[in-house]
Amino acid sequence: MPTLPHYPFSQHRLDNGLRVVISEDHLAPVVAVNVWYDVGSRHETPGRTGFAHLFEHLMFQGSKNVGRSDHFGLISEAGGTLNGTTWCDRTNYYETVPANHLETALWLEADRMGGLLDALDQDNLDNQRDVVKNEKRQTRDNQPYGRWLELLHELGYPPGHPYHHSTIGSMADLDAASLEDARSFYSTWYAPDNAVLSVVGDVETASTLHAIERYFGGIPAKGSFPTTPPSDVPPRIGQEIRRHVPDRVPLPRTFIGYRCPPFGSPGFDAVEVMSTVLGGGRGSRIYKSLVLDRPLLQPPDGNVLSPWPFVGGAALLVADLPAREGVDVAELEEAYHEVAASVVDGVSEAELERARALITSDWLHHLATVDGRADTFSQFTTLFGDPGLVNDMLPRVLAVTEDDVRAAAADVLREDNRVVLVFEPSDEPDEVAA
Amino acid sequence: MTLHLVSERPPPSEPRAWRFPEFQRHDVAGGRVLSCHLPGRPLAVVSLVVDAGAVAEPAGRQGVALLVARALSEGTAQRDAYEFAVAGERLGASWRADADWDSLRCGFEVPSGELLAATELLAEAVREPALDDATLDRVRDERLDELRVDLSQPGPRASAAFANAVFTPASRYSRPDGGDVTTVAGIGAEDVRAFHGARFAPAAATLVVVGDLAATDVEALGRSVFAGWSGAAPASATADAATQGGDRRIILVDRPGSVQSMLYVGHDAPARRTPDYVPMTTMALALGGMFNSRLNYRLREEKGYTYGAFGGFDLRRHGGVFVARTAVQSEVTAPALADLVAELELMQQKGLTDDELDRARSYRAGIFPINFAGPGSVASGLADLVVHGHPDDHFDRLRAEIQSVTTDEVNAAAATRLRPDEVVAVVVGDAAAIGDDVRATGLGPVDVVRDED
Repeated sequence: MPTLPHYPFSQHRLDNGLRVVISEDHLAPVVAVNVWYDVGSRHETPGRTGFAHLFEHLMFQGSKNVGRSDHFGLISEAGGTLNGTTWCDRTNYYETVPANHLETALWLEADRMGGLLDALDQDNLDNQRDVVKNEKRQTRDNQPYGRWLELLHELGYPPGHPYHHSTIGSMADLDAASLEDARSFYSTWYAPDNAVLSVVGDVETASTLHAIERYFGGIPAKGSFPTTPPSDVPPRIGQEIRRHVPDRVPLPRTFIGYRCPPFGSPGFDAVEVMSTVLGGGRGSRIYKSLVLDRPLLQPPDGNVLSPWPFVGGAALLVADLPAREGVDVAELEEAYHEVAASVVDGVSEAELERARALITSDWLHHLATVDGRADTFSQFTTLFGDPGLVNDMLPRVLAVTEDDVRAAAADVLREDNRVVLVFEPSDEPDEVAA
Repeated sequence: MTLHLVSERPPPSEPRAWRFPEFQRHDVAGGRVLSCHLPGRPLAVVSLVVDAGAVAEPAGRQGVALLVARALSEGTAQRDAYEFAVAGERLGASWRADADWDSLRCGFEVPSGELLAATELLAEAVREPALDDATLDRVRDERLDELRVDLSQPGPRASAAFANAVFTPASRYSRPDGGDVTTVAGIGAEDVRAFHGARFAPAAATLVVVGDLAATDVEALGRSVFAGWSGAAPASATADAATQGGDRRIILVDRPGSVQSMLYVGHDAPARRTPDYVPMTTMALALGGMFNSRLNYRLREEKGYTYGAFGGFDLRRHGGVFVARTAVQSEVTAPALADLVAELELMQQKGLTDDELDRARSYRAGIFPINFAGPGSVASGLADLVVHGHPDDHFDRLRAEIQSVTTDEVNAAAATRLRPDEVVAVVVGDAAAIGDDVRATGLGPVDVVRDED
């Protein structure tokens, strides 16, 4: 096992409530600036699915002192990269720039945190609504198997639950979004006391904190925020939910979603190790049985099983099972369940060591870049109030025992706790909701 | 408290000097090793770059290089596929093997303390792969399944149709670098073994090692790969890059049920070592390689036709292509296609402004420290030096050239390297819904391609 790095950091809170994490890393002359807002698709109101993500696009359309295309323009000209993403539990915005351009990135982030409404208008909204609808077409509606993610959300969580809909939302709801919705969403959620700012890279802590005070210190706190919609949900689905999905696809593909303990809990750590033993890498049980021993499964690019790290109520463990040509999809599924069920009977120390080594390397890879580390500091501070988990999370996962893994398998990989989506080739696919 | 924001953009401070990380060349046991010490990184990369890319494939066996790359980790003289996987994964090593036009690259990302053990596994995979019939049949059939899934997606479908329409059938560039369903289906186990046997030799391979090497004996890594490995160097491959030529034309690939049209518009381009490489690629950045590029600005930010529009060169050792591409909602296929062609014409005829060049130049020169901050990207940069025969100071020289390229040079490249009157425009979409609109553009004759079945 490699010696695990310990990443230094300091945490601060401005008077307006903005939480700040600074971590020096002088290996390369670059710096990552990363902001997490504690708002995501789980905070959307009925009839406005997809709004948090549409709003994220509007954050790149200029603000009080920043012209419409200047956010991308100024960072690019500095030799930097940038983007933003939205998910159920958060929205994040980030830039990586040569370290001498740190203040440009801070200035841009501060200006849209405090001054977006000066630039927000109907033209920007209409334009970005079209862009987002094309994003949905490009990444979902015009892709084979494109509905799988949305269906796992719909069937894995009951109607009304914050994870019942996926982040991209529906076309009808995107069409319904108004300028007033955007103003009110911004005023409700975008404030320094609902955000975390992380800066990682070739900078000096004291002067960086001073610069952060200068750019962000003049943004008023909001003081209070609506309570996050309740996400309590039974730990198990309660029955098998099965959906046959005819689609224009070349080969059948089965997705299985299981409810599992939420991200941040010891139960989730055990699921992570369990799913690596079972479906992580080419030395996993599923790869050996279904790719090598019997040619049933197309070899996955990544892992067969991935736990989605939701923090509210229950997370979702997802298996992705694309069938080989000519394979009976029922036979593939049966063989998969058989392998999955075998974990309860025991896991060898060698299998655990393999899983721990893979998890360790994945984690080190994720934290290797300044932007990966900045995002993780923001993540742990936003979700758990603890940036130190950047150093402490991995040892916790590595401490998972064989008993924990067997218990996680018994608890999660159950017939009465799964959504099964079976995509099969058809020239008459189900209508995609327009 | 009232809102107070700093109204003026802050100026940058003095940049810290940056150079491409220093690296060493070693001759070890008859083989070449490039090593680069990047202190403080927990993960390292060890990779073998072999002159065994797609251009070296025999006719009718296009795609065999990628099959060799896939087969290397499927069992060796000493262990089967499962044992090989477990041996690497217990080190925390992740295996990557891929073939592109000009090289085959394989190796591990691994905790630096396990570099020697991982390199020994790499040596086993490249020197003693089992390559048995049953495994090779499975690897080929898995690849065929992968190709079927690829072709059900609009992007890969457009890319394959584009290559097919631009180059003559005899050119290797007329098919995707990974081959297509027809050629891959014809590859037998003996073809895989023959390609491996002919192309894998110490004189055709370079070992690249990047990471925190303070505790690593690089020469020992080199010995584990090269000692006792013999075999004559294969002839360096070349590729026929002949094009079909002709005036602008449209290939409409019917994909029923599509809610978007995928557009690929472009033509052939010179090989990577063209003297105007920096002017032409800097021009392409302003045209379609940055968020605020002309194509993305026009089609996304002004018109909302798309999630993104891009354009640029893909330059290989013996030829290349220029492609402008975007996926647009079906209803605007025709105006989007017209816009793409109009933007190419405008750039070709008028070139770019000084301001546009400033922005493209400062982005491209500025991004080097970010692009080469870690072992993975530095290893890949070193592999590029090997493949293209660049000098050791290539990246520093390239950066300096970018910083000094002029508007005249860039506009001369735009005038000669863009040929809007000769583009092939591939449209992958629902022909019943968009066919008439596409014909009505008058941009060129339309050839409709449908699935064979």
